[in-house]
Amino acid sequence: MEKLKVAILGSGNIGTDLLIKIQRSDFLNCVLFVGRNLSSPGMAQAIALGVKVSDESIVAIEKNSDEIDLVFDATSAKDAKHHWGILEKLGKIVIDMTPAKLGGLCIPAVNLDEAVKQKNVNMITCGGQASIPMAYVIGKTQKNVEYIEVVSSIASRSAGPATRLNLDEYIDTTELGLSIFSKAKKTKAILNLNPADPCIDMQTTIFAQVDEPDMETLLAEVELMVKSIGKYVPGYSLLVPPIYENGRIVIMVKAQGLGDYLPKYAGNLDIINCAAIAVAEQYSKVKNNVN
Amino acid sequence: MIKHILISDPTLRDGNHAVAHQLTANQIAIYATAADEAGVPIVEVGHGNGLGASSMQVGLALEDDVTMLETARKHLSKSKLGIHVIPGFATIKRDLIRALDIGVDVVRVASHCTEADITQRHLGFVRERGKEAYGVLMMSHMAPASVLVEEAQKMELYGAEGIIIMDSAGAYLPSDVEEKITALVNGLKVPVGFHAHNNLGMAVANSITAIQSGAKILDGTARGFGAGAGNTQLEVLIAVLERMGYFTGIDFYKMLDASDIAEREIMPVIPVIKSESIVSGLAGVFSGFSKHVTRISKEYQVDQRDVYRELGNRKVVGGQEDIIIEVVMDLVRKKK
Amino acid sequence: MAIARNTLVFEDCKKSCKDPYTFSEFKDKTILITGGTGFMGRWIAEMINYINDITQSNIHLILLARDIEKFQVEMPHLANKPYLSLVRQDIRNLHDLPKNINYIIHAAGTPDNRIHVSQPLLTLETFYKGTQSLLNAASRLPELKKIIHISSHQVYGENDSDLNIEETFLGKVNTSNIYGESKRISETLCFAYKNQFKLPIIIIRPFAFVGPYHDLEKPWAINNFIRDAILGGPIKILGNGLTIRSYLYGSDMAQWLLKTLLIGQIGEAYNLGSKEPTSLNDLAKKIQLLVNPSIEIINKSSKSIYKNISNLVPNTKKITDSLSLEEAHTLEESIKRTTVWNQLKTNNEN
Repeated sequence: MEKLKVAILGSGNIGTDLLIKIQRSDFLNCVLFVGRNLSSPGMAQAIALGVKVSDESIVAIEKNSDEIDLVFDATSAKDAKHHWGILEKLGKIVIDMTPAKLGGLCIPAVNLDEAVKQKNVNMITCGGQASIPMAYVIGKTQKNVEYIEVVSSIASRSAGPATRLNLDEYIDTTELGLSIFSKAKKTKAILNLNPADPCIDMQTTIFAQVDEPDMETLLAEVELMVKSIGKYVPGYSLLVPPIYENGRIVIMVKAQGLGDYLPKYAGNLDIINCAAIAVAEQYSKVKNNVN
Repeated sequence: MIKHILISDPTLRDGNHAVAHQLTANQIAIYATAADEAGVPIVEVGHGNGLGASSMQVGLALEDDVTMLETARKHLSKSKLGIHVIPGFATIKRDLIRALDIGVDVVRVASHCTEADITQRHLGFVRERGKEAYGVLMMSHMAPASVLVEEAQKMELYGAEGIIIMDSAGAYLPSDVEEKITALVNGLKVPVGFHAHNNLGMAVANSITAIQSGAKILDGTARGFGAGAGNTQLEVLIAVLERMGYFTGIDFYKMLDASDIAEREIMPVIPVIKSESIVSGLAGVFSGFSKHVTRISKEYQVDQRDVYRELGNRKVVGGQEDIIIEVVMDLVRKKK
Repeated sequence: MAIARNTLVFEDCKKSCKDPYTFSEFKDKTILITGGTGFMGRWIAEMINYINDITQSNIHLILLARDIEKFQVEMPHLANKPYLSLVRQDIRNLHDLPKNINYIIHAAGTPDNRIHVSQPLLTLETFYKGTQSLLNAASRLPELKKIIHISSHQVYGENDSDLNIEETFLGKVNTSNIYGESKRISETLCFAYKNQFKLPIIIIRPFAFVGPYHDLEKPWAINNFIRDAILGGPIKILGNGLTIRSYLYGSDMAQWLLKTLLIGQIGEAYNLGSKEPTSLNDLAKKIQLLVNPSIEIINKSSKSIYKNISNLVPNTKKITDSLSLEEAHTLEESIKRTTVWNQLKTNNEN
């Protein structure tokens, strides 16, 4: 089997954590780690791991185009747009970690096979990766889903300046993902930052209003879904199994990080990265005819 | 010299917590009219957790934001119409633009007391539109004075024309208020305000301590109608302020009338400090949790005092109402 | 009939730069401006445009910035001029510069204190790493004549006196002032590079400015007062109305900077700003009178009595005397021009 050759564009927390996860993968080989600054902590990590690095940003990908099958774009929504203009012409597969929404939205546990038919896959948001699978199961098992709402609480220390400045975009993108995957008539996303010390794990609650809730089928499907997410996000667990309370379905899940590059409480970064790796591995499997 | 205190009245916002966000358009019309007549400077209206907050998480409101704000707008002529906005719940595109278009005059952008960075865009947007913008630090008992000053200074730079700290849990004693308000007045350019809850019976006393420490803005509600044990009782506050020689611009008799009207027309129960409210205040739990805690505790037959204690231990912040369910489920499991 | 924005700006340059032939030494030379798409960069570009237009000097300008698209969209009348080029580059990661550069104005990094509080590390890195990257690259330029490092009045620390601040002033400093301390360390870097690499560096310490190309949403009193007045008031004075500031107009700033580049003394530090003090109260009254006399002025302040009055006005004797400079625009004119410019539609909307 030939490992898929990938490059990581963006040497921040997301990019660096991806790199560490790829080092463990049987299906992926990181051939290039690209940023804009050779003295950044992410670069130091990559150099220590013996990975080829560059500080030439997108130009480095263009120069090494022949060696690269797939690019993880872990920059910003604005830069991702600019990059896609170039990468599309080069014929690269792009897994977009930003909320740029240039390609189809992907939740690996739901639409992995469909997603890898595209050249650009968007990973939505961290809260979306945690909640949308549950919203999807609700949509699948319940009649007439009127409303779905998801609330994520994350540790204050895991939210950087970009997240804080762009809460509105987080909410927009997550709500879009929810409505696409659950087919609910109305969706709402809420995000809380909690500064408690020690840091809280990322926790997400899914509420739904449906006609005649079928809790038995739901519980079975939720358990299956948690298992299938668990394959690519080991720290994903069911905190409160589906209950019907006060006229609403409630499910609570928790995402603990693997503690690769960032501490375990940064489950929000971990879950979106694990999902992205699952997508990249799927491309590799398809290419190698592995099932 | 007559000292002026700006009063903001969230009877129709914080009070919405007390009725699980079920205030009707008619009730809003009635109290808005009475408050306007009394000359209340700012009348705050909306879901208890503010704009765009109607949700299963914190409670679905009977009336939507548009109805509440349009109704209030119609019945306020002298008073300014205010709203409470928490980024993470309300977005600019989905909620804030529409509210300003309806004619909201005053926007108070709030965050948990250590997370002021999330208010930058909302505060900036309000100032760009030429409206009045204030910054609000909620659950302020959870951070030391030095942190509150830093966070408040950020809001000031983002465009806040005043900073209000909330004792959202009703946990403060006067000495706490004095320490924090003094630090803020020294550290800030813009006026400082205080929003009390009455869990420990200290709301009026704490409000007075706040102005004696340099605060210029106070929140109060008719009969103290608000989340948990309620807020500072506005008509009492006005009486005390007048005796102390402060000026609010509010007609005292008409304020008494307004609170009588409020009691009759919008309050199923007059706020009282219930036993569990005292525990909630001691534990430092967000007052907006109280209806949820009571309901879920009853449903699963656990002692709500234990629930408050555990919520306090977990340092849960406003907006994390879902954790109540988890805590109750934990207690149920432990009981078995 | 309203004039176009760029005509207004062109006239302002003319007023500030009475003799564009003064700059003949810059003929066919190349000037690099880092942070080139900001307030300073845009005004220098306008001034160079004016000088080139009148004198046919063909002064080349390279504007280096992270976001060049914004400049292309907002400055179409300059973006396509043959003597102007735009380079997309994060200053922190700069390696190499075009070899033909003769002059550098290092203006990268925002003075917007909202960004300083929300992103303190970015602020530190931009001024520290950014300045070091630039100076490293500059030290290898074969035909470099001069570098102006744009510092800030904040390096002086707090001024408790009511005197205008001279270049030798040392006030109280505070390590938690991210912007001030970043600017101090970048000045120290300049000092080190001047000594070790003999780089021809001049330090400029800017105070407050006013004029077109200043976003009215920036968190500074004069910007917000003008915005409030344009929106129909009231003008809100937040904090102590007795606070003293001064404001130099954009085209005067550009003229002063270019003159410093031309004949400023290497190794010196110069204040850049207006020497005319005005309190925020007086400023608000002036803006009210000039923009809309019917609007209200209100004051919102945490305290009733202030022990200290903040006074940030430069003593500009050193720069004006040694480089023969003057303030061509009064504060009243500056306010009027800024207001008119902001009320005009942008050129490409005309």
